[in-house]
Parts: sequence; C-alpha cells; structure tokens
Amino acid sequence: MWKEIGDREAGKLRPRLFANRIKSNRVGTLQLSNHKDIVSPHRGSINSLQVDLTEGRYLLSGASDASAAVHDVQRATDYEAGGLIAKHKCIFVIDKKHERGHKYAISSAIWYPVDTGLFITGSYDHHINVWDTNSTQVVMNFKMPGKVYRTAMSSVATSHMLIAAGTEDVQVRLCDIASGAFAHTLSGHRDGVISVEWSTSSEWVLVTGGCDGAIRFWDIRRAGCFLVLDQSHSQLGRCPPIPERSATNKASTSKSLSRAQQRKLAGGNGTKQSPTTGMPTKGSVRQRLHPGLLSSQDRATAHYGAVTGLKLTEDGMYLLSAGSDSRLRLWDVESGCNTLVNFETVRLQTSKPIQLATTQDSALVFVPCMTAVKAISFSMAFDVWSGKTSLTFRGHYEYVNCCWFSSQEQELYTGGNDRQILVWSPSSLIADELDEEQAQDQDNWSD
Amino acid sequence: MDEIPEPSSRGRKRLRDQEDTELQCSDLDQTLSLEENLPFSDTLVALRMMRGQFPHIEKVAIQPFVLRSQLYSSVKDRTQVDRELECLRREKVVRIFKLNTGQDDHAVMFLDDYLNQIECVVKRLGEKKQGDLEVFKWFRTHVVDAKLESSIEHQELHTLLSLGGKVKDGHISLLINAGLFTRQLIDPNMYWFAIPNIGSVLKGLSQGRKEVLSFLNRRRYKEMMLTSMEKKRLRLSPLDMRFHLRDLIGSGHLKTNQTSTGLVVQVSKD
Repeated sequence: MWKEIGDREAGKLRPRLFANRIKSNRVGTLQLSNHKDIVSPHRGSINSLQVDLTEGRYLLSGASDASAAVHDVQRATDYEAGGLIAKHKCIFVIDKKHERGHKYAISSAIWYPVDTGLFITGSYDHHINVWDTNSTQVVMNFKMPGKVYRTAMSSVATSHMLIAAGTEDVQVRLCDIASGAFAHTLSGHRDGVISVEWSTSSEWVLVTGGCDGAIRFWDIRRAGCFLVLDQSHSQLGRCPPIPERSATNKASTSKSLSRAQQRKLAGGNGTKQSPTTGMPTKGSVRQRLHPGLLSSQDRATAHYGAVTGLKLTEDGMYLLSAGSDSRLRLWDVESGCNTLVNFETVRLQTSKPIQLATTQDSALVFVPCMTAVKAISFSMAFDVWSGKTSLTFRGHYEYVNCCWFSSQEQELYTGGNDRQILVWSPSSLIADELDEEQAQDQDNWSD
Repeated sequence: MDEIPEPSSRGRKRLRDQEDTELQCSDLDQTLSLEENLPFSDTLVALRMMRGQFPHIEKVAIQPFVLRSQLYSSVKDRTQVDRELECLRREKVVRIFKLNTGQDDHAVMFLDDYLNQIECVVKRLGEKKQGDLEVFKWFRTHVVDAKLESSIEHQELHTLLSLGGKVKDGHISLLINAGLFTRQLIDPNMYWFAIPNIGSVLKGLSQGRKEVLSFLNRRRYKEMMLTSMEKKRLRLSPLDMRFHLRDLIGSGHLKTNQTSTGLVVQVSKD
C-alpha cells in the first residue's frame, strides 16, 4: 500500500489506476458491516433501493406496506457501543396514513436525477406520485391502467423529464413532469412490462423487459422499437457476427412474418389454393402497418420466462438481464447479440422483479439470488469473460429483492422480504481503534 | 484446451466403460478424416464420452443424447461449454433440442444419431400404413440442413418443405404425429424441433430426478457417498443413476464435496 502511494507520488502509477486499484481491493473485502447499521422503519418487504445520483448521500427505499423512507448514509443519527457502531435512522417516512400516500405496495421509488428535491414512487394502486422531498407533499400524480411495476428516469437526460413506467398493461407509458401529462406510449410487448431502464449513453433510448420474455430497445423519438433481443442470435466473444448474415436474417424474418400475417387472414385452410401473390390488399381486412410498428410482430424472446431484472453497464456497451428461467444473460448492445457468457447462478426469484447492481468499472455485478446476494465478476481477463461467482453475501433471513452499490463509498445496500436494509462495507480495522483507546485509558488514571 | 477433461472423481466409471467408449470413438474416428479430427475441444470430448455412456434402454429404440446440464458438470468453464456448443451447432456436428421437462432443459444430439432416429421412425411408419412418406425426405434434405436453430416458424417450415414438392397441411400434421415437431405453448405459430420417440424417456427423466432428490432429502443429513449412490437402482426411470447424477449436479440441485473418504453428494441449499 505504501509502495503504491510512493509510486503514485513519483508518477509511476497513473492516478486513475491507483484509485481503481484501491477501489477494487476494497470491493473484494466486502462483508456485512460491523460499524454501520440502517434502522429500517418499514413493516413490509423492501422492493426498491436507490442512492441519489448527485451526492451519493441519501438512500431512498420503497416497501410493500406503502411506505417510502429516506436515510442519510453518510452521517449517522446516533452511535452505539461506545461510538463504534453508527446507527442511521430514517430522516422521514411516508406511509398509508399520509393524506395522498399510496394505498398498496410501492414497487419502485427513484430520485429525480438532477437533484434530491423530488422523488417519484410507483405503486400497485395504479398511481405514480411525484413528491417534494422537503415538504413531503405530492406535487403531481399520474394514473396508470394497471399495477405499476417499475418507473425510471434517465440520468443523462438534458432535454426531457420523462418518467418511463412499466405496468401490467402491455404498453409502456412516458409521463412528463414538466407538463403533467402523458407524452406517448410505446407498444410492442405482448404482456406486462416489469423492468424498465434508460440507456446510460443516450437520453433517447429506453430498454424494457416484459413478462413475455422479450427485451426491447426503444428510441422514444420514433415509433416502435428498433431492436428486439433474441437469445438465439449469439456472438462468440467481443466481436459481433458478420453484418450480412444478421442483416439477411432480420430481412428474411420480417418478410416472412408480414407474409404470414397476410396468408393467415386470407383463408387459412391449406386445402385451398395457396395465395400466390403477396399483395397487401388481397381479400379480407388487413391493415397496412406503419413500418416502425412491424417490430411488434417480431416475437423473439430473450428469456424462456419473464425478464425480471435489467441493468446496463455504465459505459452503455453491455446489458445484463435476469429472467425467471433462472438465467442471467449478457448482451452486446451494439450488435444485439447474446454473448453466451454463462453465469453460474442456480436459482433466482421468479415472482418479483429484482434489482441488479454493477460496480463502476463494470467488473462485478451483484445479483440477488434467493436469500443471498452473489457478486459475479465478468471483467475481461485475457479477452474472455469469466462469469464466476467471486463473493456471496448471506445475511438476510428471507429473499433479497433489491440491491444498490454506491461507488463513492464502495458499499452495497440490500433490501429483502425480511424488512431489513443491510449494509455491506469493506472490512475496516476496528482493532487499531480499540488498542488506542485502551492505551489512553492506561495512561489516564484517575484517583 | 489441451487436456481431456476426465473428471477424476469418476475414474472408476470411466474404467468400466473404457471398452465401449473406445469402440464408439474408433467407429466415429474411422468415418471422419484426421483433418477434421485433429484439434479437439473439451466439449466435444465430453460429448463423445457421455454418448458412449448412455444407458441402454429396452423396448424403446432411441439414439444416445446428452443433456446440457451434464456437460456443465463435466467441463469446468460453463462459458466455454456454451461457446463450443454454439460452434459445433454452427458446423452441423450436433443439434440442440429444447425439452419440455423444465424451463431451461436442452438435449444435445449428434447429427448422425438424429438422422438415424428419423430413419427408424420412418421405417416404423412405413410398416404401419402407406402415408405420404415423401415429406420425411423433404424434411431431411431441406429443413434439417437449412434450419440450425431449435425452433421454426410455421411459414418458414412450409416454404422449406415446398422446395421438395407440393405441401399440404396433412403433411405437417404427419410430421407432428411422428414426433419431429411440437407446438410451442407461448406462440401458436412456432414449433420446437423434437427428438421422435423420446416421450417415455423424458417422463423417466423427470421422475428419476424427483426420485433421486427425494431419496437424498429423506436422509438425515441430506447427503450420501457418491460410490454408494452409484450402486442404487432407480425404480421409476429407465435411465441409470449416473445419468441423473450428472444432470442434477450440472443444474445445481446437488453438489459434491471432497472428503477424506471420497466424494460426497449433498442437496444444495440455495
């Protein structure tokens, strides 16, 4: 450690490299924190956790008893055990008793990405509320057609303030805070949408995962989605497959799909003469679909079950998806192919959406698997992803639903069905502090 | 990539069937030239070895197949297994089928075995009645070569079969009845490729899995020595214990622990 500091001083080590090394060393020693504790006021399972993106100081949690709470994770409210354990109580709680609070479970609670003045909660009572943090009042309310599973706001957006909401309904709705109305809806999924994420590289790209197992990429400026991930399109390694092959695949499938639509409606019995021409105006009622909406006929699935969790890496190049078929897949966003990295997770929760977390240099992904959280490394070592579990965090008594990694402090916060928020921090040496205290005591005798 | 991945724990098993694997391998090697055979991949060797160890089932004429979870339990790096399987699939050495016994079950079969299986089925159908068996020939020449994935759309199937001759709806029903296709539950327009005649084996597979897991769960500490487990015979499954053990270890339901007296098989808790 000292040698590295000396190298840094002499200029042998780059400052970024030095900082990254220390951070990854600290992440490698993550364990249940013995000096920090978050006192959770919730009486239901915790569904969503997020630390604010501006300061990295306030943790917002949403739970199944319709309560949302904010904790300060940098300053403790009081200390126990002689100043060794810091207790963080919540700064405020909103629950059912609040005049305009939610009535059913809160499935998603997120901060307004620009500052901590607003936060947004989405709940199973079909409402999305926008709250003012300082006065804890609802400033705006959006009514959805079904249970809200997830809400998301883009952290890189400079020209829009849209909340993307995934609900039981097949359409993804975009709500505008500036005007208080719905901007537009994105249709293409065939079942409810349970995970929604904005792209980390572009403010116009939205990724959604549905109960039908499909993952779609949408550019909100255009109609329809521009990419549907298919688990059978795979690439080996970093480079995508040869462009002609994937282009002809997509062209032939879209052509055959549109013909399929026509042939199905124009008299489906095989004993009759099969239609020889593919004219759209033949016979029965058939609408000419807008070219942007042709993607709604693409039925490729990314998982064999529902897509329960999505996470884009910080550089925006890769997408991790977790499905209820207990598989984690890594996708290359540029080519839309499955990179075939096998993550050895055994079982994932299948009934609820889970929240994944990644470290900033995208070396580790934290996945809640049943009662434990596994940290799986997928950093490139010799040009091959490993996908091996490097750490396992067992501490919750019941299933873990959500986790959030704070890259400033290198701490992991996890929330589960046992109503606890646990803090996992790099091991700090408490032994040194204890020794100093005892030494002091020995010198200061009082008679 | 240089060493053959013999799982050292199953050394004894390997000794027992060294004869049949060598016979099988030598058969295959003679048919392929050395040029194609020179570099091996771990997955290919594991596939060949497990194909040789496939249990012999009376009453059902079925060619050997390997489950994906069995490959995971024998080769260490799962990403490597996935990638090599993908390469083998693209080179038309193996075919991958999705099974309906679980959400993520896949069976891997060598292409020659698959074609042999189709031949057996066609012969049996030919004995029973003189239907239009030409559709099987069209299937073999046009569809198997062109479509390498494990599922196919109705329209595409129709187009590919029409390359052979005039296709009627009855032809496709004949293919489904023979067991070459199954309809997808999520999408009425898509079919999964299937291994014909495999129904009873799949039933035995799921029942055997349940039997092994319940047997271990009933024990006091939910574990048993691997050597004694191997010797047990299963009541409900025609497949042998070794097949099921490899499958369950690969899918994560069981885990093995090295102890001073040998390997112990335990039910995994997570």
